Amino acid sequence: MAFQVLHESLLAPAIRASETHKSHLNGRMANGFKRRMANTFEKMMFVSGETAEPSPETTTLIEEITRQQVIEILTRSTALATRRGVRSISTDDLIFLIRHDKAKVSRLRTFLSWKDVRKNVKDSDDKGGGDAADFAADDAAGAVAGPADVAAKPKNKKAKVGLAWDVNSFYSIQIPEREDEEDEEEEEQNYATLQRLAAADERTRHMTKEEYVFWSECRQASFTYRKSKRFREWAGFGIVTESKPNDDIVDILGFLTFEIVQTLTEGALKVKEREDNEKNRRGGADAGENLKKRKRETGLFDPPEEGRTPIEPRHVREAYRKLQATPQKAVAMLLHEGRIPARLPLVLI
Amino acid sequence: MSLGHNAWPPGNIRPPDDLQESPRPVNGLVKTLSGSRTPQIRGSVGAEGQNPNSTSEADIATEEDPRIAQFRELYRRSEAKISLLFSGQELDDDTVGGPVTEEVKPPEPHTARVDDGPPSTAPRKSARKLDDDDYDDYDEDDDMEDDAQSPKSKPAAPHDPAGVASLAYHPSASSSSGPDETKETKKETMEDLRKQLEEDKKSTEEAARRSFHTIFYTLENDRDAMLDQQRLEESERQVEAEISGQANMGGNSTQGASNGYSSLSNTNLGASSLTLKNLIARIDKKRDRVQASDAELRSLLSEVRKNRSKWANEDKVGQEELYEACEKVLSELKAMTEHSTAFLTRVNKRDAPDYHAVIKHPMDLGSMTKKLKGLQYRSKQDFVDDLTLIWANCLKYNTNSDHPLRKHAVYMRKETEKLVPLIPEIVIRDRAEVEAEERRLQLAELDGAEESDEEPIMASRGRKAPGKKSSKKGTAPSRNTPSGSEGPAGPPNTQPAPVARADSDAIGEAAPNGFSTPPPGSHTPSDPAGPGAIAMGSQDEAMDIDGPGISAPVLSALSVPGGVELEDPEYKVWKQVTKKDRALIAAERHRLLRGDKLNSEEPALLRTKAGMRRWLRHQKLATIEADRSRDTGSHAMEPEVASETLAEGIEVEEDQMVPFYYDVMSGVPDLPERLLWKEDGQGNVVDASEEFLRILPKGHFVQPDSKLTQKMNANIRQMQETRKICSKIGIVKQMQLQSQMYQNQFQKYQPEPFVEQDAEPHVLNDNGPVIAPWACRAALQRSVAKIFYHTGFEEYQPSALESVTDIAADFFQKLGSTVKSYMETPKMPATENQDPASPTAEWKPAYTEPEIILHTLSSVGVHLDELELYIKDDIDRLGTKLTAAHSRLKSLLTELLRPALEGGEDGSNAFKDGSEQFVGGDFAEDIDEDFFGFKELGLDREFGLSTLSVPLHLLQNRMFNAANPQSTTVSQSVDLFPPPPPYARISADNVSDQIGLLHSFFKGKLNTSRNEALVEDLELPPKQRPMAAKTRLPPSGKIPQQGLTGPTSSPQKRTASSTASKTTTTEPSKKKAKKNSGIPEMPNFNPDGEGDRTADPSGSVNAQLDAPVEGADPIATEA
Repeated sequence: MAFQVLHESLLAPAIRASETHKSHLNGRMANGFKRRMANTFEKMMFVSGETAEPSPETTTLIEEITRQQVIEILTRSTALATRRGVRSISTDDLIFLIRHDKAKVSRLRTFLSWKDVRKNVKDSDDKGGGDAADFAADDAAGAVAGPADVAAKPKNKKAKVGLAWDVNSFYSIQIPEREDEEDEEEEEQNYATLQRLAAADERTRHMTKEEYVFWSECRQASFTYRKSKRFREWAGFGIVTESKPNDDIVDILGFLTFEIVQTLTEGALKVKEREDNEKNRRGGADAGENLKKRKRETGLFDPPEEGRTPIEPRHVREAYRKLQATPQKAVAMLLHEGRIPARLPLVLI
Repeated sequence: MSLGHNAWPPGNIRPPDDLQESPRPVNGLVKTLSGSRTPQIRGSVGAEGQNPNSTSEADIATEEDPRIAQFRELYRRSEAKISLLFSGQELDDDTVGGPVTEEVKPPEPHTARVDDGPPSTAPRKSARKLDDDDYDDYDEDDDMEDDAQSPKSKPAAPHDPAGVASLAYHPSASSSSGPDETKETKKETMEDLRKQLEEDKKSTEEAARRSFHTIFYTLENDRDAMLDQQRLEESERQVEAEISGQANMGGNSTQGASNGYSSLSNTNLGASSLTLKNLIARIDKKRDRVQASDAELRSLLSEVRKNRSKWANEDKVGQEELYEACEKVLSELKAMTEHSTAFLTRVNKRDAPDYHAVIKHPMDLGSMTKKLKGLQYRSKQDFVDDLTLIWANCLKYNTNSDHPLRKHAVYMRKETEKLVPLIPEIVIRDRAEVEAEERRLQLAELDGAEESDEEPIMASRGRKAPGKKSSKKGTAPSRNTPSGSEGPAGPPNTQPAPVARADSDAIGEAAPNGFSTPPPGSHTPSDPAGPGAIAMGSQDEAMDIDGPGISAPVLSALSVPGGVELEDPEYKVWKQVTKKDRALIAAERHRLLRGDKLNSEEPALLRTKAGMRRWLRHQKLATIEADRSRDTGSHAMEPEVASETLAEGIEVEEDQMVPFYYDVMSGVPDLPERLLWKEDGQGNVVDASEEFLRILPKGHFVQPDSKLTQKMNANIRQMQETRKICSKIGIVKQMQLQSQMYQNQFQKYQPEPFVEQDAEPHVLNDNGPVIAPWACRAALQRSVAKIFYHTGFEEYQPSALESVTDIAADFFQKLGSTVKSYMETPKMPATENQDPASPTAEWKPAYTEPEIILHTLSSVGVHLDELELYIKDDIDRLGTKLTAAHSRLKSLLTELLRPALEGGEDGSNAFKDGSEQFVGGDFAEDIDEDFFGFKELGLDREFGLSTLSVPLHLLQNRMFNAANPQSTTVSQSVDLFPPPPPYARISADNVSDQIGLLHSFFKGKLNTSRNEALVEDLELPPKQRPMAAKTRLPPSGKIPQQGLTGPTSSPQKRTASSTASKTTTTEPSKKKAKKNSGIPEMPNFNPDGEGDRTADPSGSVNAQLDAPVEGADPIATEA
């Protein structure tokens, strides 16, 4: 076991860190966590659209990519915090990293505000009595997947998460909140979320009861719920950044991790779809496989998910490559007698 | 000499030199007999015959008789006529040539000579006519007088030249009477010819000059010209070095001798110059009466004399002229570098080992220069012989007919033939000799035929001279002899002279000259030039001037028609005329470079006024015919022309033969019309600046007024307004926290709206953009700052602004260069199917302007969507957000101010405070400006300077009270009861109202204050109040027994006890009690006012004393 750990440690420093941590635990637990992590990834991929059973290779690949991203996020936000002269990462640092993806920022803000609501409820419940704690806990589990349980909205006022670069921070005086004004931009930025919800709705429409149970179970998959410590180890807390982060930070990271997995899976599915289309087109020309393919083609009464093959590592790699493509903006200043560096920084997904 | 590097072809059969030399004596004699030789035969002999010919000619000359010369002359003439018929063939013969058979046929050298004859003799005579000078006069004297000379000249003397001539002419019989006339005409034609030559050369030169402007010649030949020139100079240097070496080593004696000699003979100053001749004669005549010594006279006269060339030698008559001409010819020949290169230096033994076996008398142009410098030539013939020897040697050595050097040699020979006539026929003679002759002539003139009658001075000189001369003569032959052909050149040279002389005599030209017919024996060869000399008084001067000017161009002019190579004649003229100048220019150019680098050691190139003027003149000449429309331009240059003459004297204007465009340094660029220096009629400068100067249009450096600008400006203004409200809110909040306000605690926040400042009025003289980096940068920086402000930053650090400006500038440069590269993409055919090669093809830019912009944007990763999003999100939406924030903050401020404005529920208190400003009502409405006015007034009030309204003070109070509800309740509770009227001050009048116990006390007080009304402690400022000594906690921490009472006594207890005790000292203890109760002391709240009235310092002391006693009870009761 120790040898194996050492061997693995050569692969990546981040891995080494978490592994050495793990080596203190007993092996069964570590393995169990690994399996559970893989399980979580599978569930998330399922939620993101992957229908079939993905191979362990695919899952591992996605996990590794995701972990690289998470570590990168942590490294950068730590650097940002250091630049501010602070040791610990703040929410703003994390949001700053994804500031260009406005939809994601919006989702994150929604997530944070709901989290705030939950906390308030919890506090009041603690005051009022312990019987509401279970409800709050269930609520927290579901919140990871976004506003799926909006219906269960408590009466507490939804707190807004302000951004450091918003108009509010322009002035020396805190601008009082006003209930009546509706934030129309959030509506716009939630477009992507609504799209996803619509797609999920489409998928779940024809599900049987068992399937839907499984589906909702998958939707509740979370990295951070009740395994926050493991997740911190996995993400390299204590190595990349301080080991005792704010609870918010871990939750945000969990949220971002889910987003990464989702983006990757969706990208890989798109790649696979194109590949399949291409294969079908070529298959039409190829007489040998023609019949076979035709049989495979989805008929009117074919169950939509049955014949599908899982995504493979190459799809994931291609999707990753596409996501890592250097945006033109990043090299704009290197035009004309500038030299594009051999290695560009990792692009955060 | 001529073929140093060409080895002798082994298989070539070649007669040794000796064979050729042996028959020479015979040649001379036989020649006349073989005069009937026809050119045809000679033609078969060909050019190869040239070689022996020239040498033999020289040999012959040594022994030739004047008579024979006459014969030869006649023969030559007749032959010339014949040869004219075959001239074309002759040319061929010259170049082609064939094996030589002269040894067998003695006449052949002679016949060959005919080739040279006609051209060479004719010019020679004409030259002599022009070039001869007054020395001739003396020649005859010398001849007669000088014995030392006689050995040479005597052989000629016995024969009467005229007789010879007649003899010669008559036997020739071809034209018995003709010769004289032909001679006569010939002389004239010679002169004409010379003039014509000069004119020719001038016209060619002119034509060439003119044509230079029309054609641009490439510089490819310059390097060759330069190399040739360098070789030439190298050889000259070599010669120089050799001569100087010679002079140093062996030449000392001769040089010294000649020097001494010249210095001595210089005493004969008079004879050296025609102009001074009479003067000298005069001086000589009155010699005994002249006090000055000979030396003095000499120095005097030499000062008077004109400049002489380096060849001038007092003792050598004719040397100057001869050598001038010879030198010119020589340098001219050397300058034909295309052909002369091989002949410049001596043939090297290494190059041609057997050369000296073949050529016995090597000769080259360098050696000739050396000889010339060493004054080794005594006559033209010497010189010419050497020249011909060179070519002959070459042709002799290189027998192979297609040898390239032969071509050169032939060419050079031709050139020589053309040049030689320019050399005057002069035999150098010693001064003494000449003078003696002159003297004799004079005497003859005076006394008839008295020859020997000499004046003493001349005699003495004459006696002296021979001695020197002999020594000189001794050297001369010795030097001459080695060259073989040279020494004997004198006699043959003399030969044509008598003929000419005879002619002139026969015509009787001599008589008007003032020269009486000389004795037959005294005739000198140089005489023929006499007439010319007499005709023009200062002939030698003219010669001096003419010579240099003529030689070079004449040659080139002459060489034009006779060009050997088939070249464009114009180009050839160009090459020849400009060769030297081009070589110099090329050398200049090369000197500026060392290796492939610029030579930093070289002096800087400076353009000169003269050069530029020349350039302009040339250019004007070149363009003047082209267009007359440029008259204005030339007119404008006139002022310059005027100044030209001034500078002319300063800067030497050297006239070069190269066209103006060669002189790159002096080039003057074409100036635009508007920049010309123009003057009107009054000489005032016409200012053309209005035509092209313009003022920078406004708005160049401000953001153009667009919707975007307006929105941004509105947003910025909105932010400023909101910040104003923010600052007010901040003040209000601060008021709530602080009980006391200070001056300058709050800075007035009154931001002005931003106005973009445009650049100052600026004058431009072009249509391009403003090139002012600092201004552009400042504008960019302002834009950056504006965007910063718009993004929410209120202030920036300069360094941050600078660096962002730098980045922005960099980015915009990238954008600019990308746009540029798209704009500069080669044009494309306007239509698809047209032929791109056709000249009429229509072209259009590869990209339209929108395309360029879009391409550029996408190349820097900016998409239109993003820009739109920016406008939508960061400007439009920001505007609405800002407006919302503004309204919210405003309502917040109103909210905060409400308690202060309303005072109580009914707002009646606002007026009670005496703040008239609040009567108007809504504070929030006019809060903007007056707010700070109140503040200032309030501060004044705090200083006690104003008793007017106290709005700020009140406001602050209200705010503070509103923020601290406890105190408000107290004050409000107090407000429920109207404050009692203040007690009157105790004065002498009302002291009796007080209780009797205190009467004495108050009276004492009033006495001390001189019956003024007593001032209550509470009316004093807090600091001046007589404070009771406070009880302090001792360091032990234990409360002393007496001190316990004050702090712990409850107000109820306190009042009760005080009222009970009825002491006058209730007030201080009451104060303490109040403090202890934690209730802030309010000025209005004074329930025990009466007690206070009676209080005074002493009373308070009493109270202090009482306190412990009183205080003991409550504690006791509590305990």
